[in-house]
Amino acid sequence: MHTFLLLGLVSCSILAVFSSDLLKAAISLAGASIFLAMLFFEMGATYAGVFEISVVAGLITVLFIATISLTTKEEETKHSKRLRLLFPLILIGLILIDFLFMRQYLGGLAPLAGPAETGEFGQIFWGGRTFDLVAQIAIILSGVFCVLALFRKRSGDE
Amino acid sequence: MSIPFIAVPLILASLMPLIGKISKRVLPDVLTSAALLGLLGYSVFAGRQTFLKGADIWKASWLGEALNITLVLDSFSVLLLLTISLIGLSVALYSIDYMEHFEAKASFYALLLVMIAGMNGLVLSNDLFTMYLFLEVAAVSSYGLIAFGLERNELEASLKYLLLSTVATAFLLLGIAIVFGLTGSLQLAAIAEAFSAVNNPAIVGFCMALFIMGFGLKAALVPFHAWLPDAHSSAPAPISAMLSGVLIKVSGIYALTRVCFTIFGTQPGLGQVLMILGIASILVGAIQALGQNDIKRMLAYSSISQIGYIILGLGVGTPLGILGAMFHLFNHAIAKGLLFLNSGALERATGTRELDRMGGLARKMPVTAGTSIIGSLSIAGVPPLNGFWSKLLIILALVQAKLYLPALIALLAGILTLWYYLIIQRRAFFGKLNETWNHVTEAPFWMSFSVLLLGTICILIGLLFPLVILGWIQPATDALTAGISQAIGLLGL
Repeated sequence: MHTFLLLGLVSCSILAVFSSDLLKAAISLAGASIFLAMLFFEMGATYAGVFEISVVAGLITVLFIATISLTTKEEETKHSKRLRLLFPLILIGLILIDFLFMRQYLGGLAPLAGPAETGEFGQIFWGGRTFDLVAQIAIILSGVFCVLALFRKRSGDE
Repeated sequence: MSIPFIAVPLILASLMPLIGKISKRVLPDVLTSAALLGLLGYSVFAGRQTFLKGADIWKASWLGEALNITLVLDSFSVLLLLTISLIGLSVALYSIDYMEHFEAKASFYALLLVMIAGMNGLVLSNDLFTMYLFLEVAAVSSYGLIAFGLERNELEASLKYLLLSTVATAFLLLGIAIVFGLTGSLQLAAIAEAFSAVNNPAIVGFCMALFIMGFGLKAALVPFHAWLPDAHSSAPAPISAMLSGVLIKVSGIYALTRVCFTIFGTQPGLGQVLMILGIASILVGAIQALGQNDIKRMLAYSSISQIGYIILGLGVGTPLGILGAMFHLFNHAIAKGLLFLNSGALERATGTRELDRMGGLARKMPVTAGTSIIGSLSIAGVPPLNGFWSKLLIILALVQAKLYLPALIALLAGILTLWYYLIIQRRAFFGKLNETWNHVTEAPFWMSFSVLLLGTICILIGLLFPLVILGWIQPATDALTAGISQAIGLLGL
């Protein structure tokens, strides 16, 4: 099951990177988030899964689509063949690194004592990682301000 | 209480779109500068309190219930907060005139304030994952600010920075995940303690490498520096000042120092790696700066070289080396902020950044020329300016540690630095005035005021350096070395 979900996650991620249509790329990314959320559920990280679906697959995808709707379609960008080859090569390289080194280094790590997510949701949310919430609000704020600044109508003086 | 450092800029930023609707320019100008002036005053007050009473740990509560928000303010973080507020204030004052022709001034200030809140949050946090989140807050805002002019080269530089930052993020997240897997904690002090039980040199070395690569990319250390010359030269001048002056130091040097030294102590391997990266950055930055004709690219390469000096001082690991590094971090932020602001004044007046098209501008822009000379001589390490004392301390620390070759390289690179800064002065400000620039006038009031402020601080710190070292730099060094000593004790080194 884990392998199937991981394959789905990687496939959707590759689609998101290679799609020349922004809308399709955003939807592929949402698909990748759903696979990641399912992986979280499988591994017992329920709250992380809920957040992944609601915030990343939901809210962020809505933000992406809203932003894409502000753009206009220009002429097709021509991609060089070398660049098209680069990504698969990097992917193969990373898989090789994973097999040759990462498993050796990380395979010996003992799992953490006890499940990470025990206790009430509110207790974890408010009692555990409250400060992260402030930082996440700030990240969303900066994303919104970036959209406001970069999709503005320019005056003649600028 | 240190929450105002995060709350004030964040709340003001969230109100900025509304404020921009009421008044397009005056209110955003006044409120941003007032907020940053307030934060500068508060950081001086917090610094005094920390100096007298020791580190302040603030825990948030809501209606009597404790929230898990803990902010740690020690002398090291205070030094960074002071630097961020000072450069932030200068940038805000400068932007009153510089960003005048931009319609979206409120959005510019909003992004600037969020970036400052992000850097302040990173400095005040003692949790590895929260540090990472605030690092992203500052980074996301900086992508928007670099591309703010919406020209092709600005968008390209922003995209390049975003892509390389993503690589840095991947390294950092992997490092954080492994540390959490090993120790079961994300609190720096708890990690340091738990690491003492980890008996696996390979995994410790792997973690260290991930953090050095991640934060090294953020600090633009050689060989992770490819993004910096494009990003820093393409951004609007006040943002270049903010990026080169503080962002690379906070998200690169501060985070690297805090995380690596607190968790790993000064392990011999760590010090040597930092020294090699430092020397490579000093040399590559200085040599590449020499060949530039674009003033902002020259300053950007110079930043890489000066970051190398800071890392070299930290790599030595002795109290004198760390003292020199801390002092150079502060001095470089002020002098480089000043020089980038002046490059903006030159670009605004002449419409070009090409040095070979300038010449003789000192007669037309005396304030810009005068303060540029101060900033240049300071970074080049000419006495009695502030940069001289910090470079001297770093070189003395190298000699004291019997590292003669790195000391010689640092000394020779200092001469190289003086050379390329004299090139800027000669080609931009001296010689015969190009007739094309007969119409050029001095920068407007607020732009001149902010560079005069930074220039005066460069001179004052140089003249009063014992007071600055005793009051601000030595306590910061003590706070950092206390963390290192604790880590060394826990690791049993």
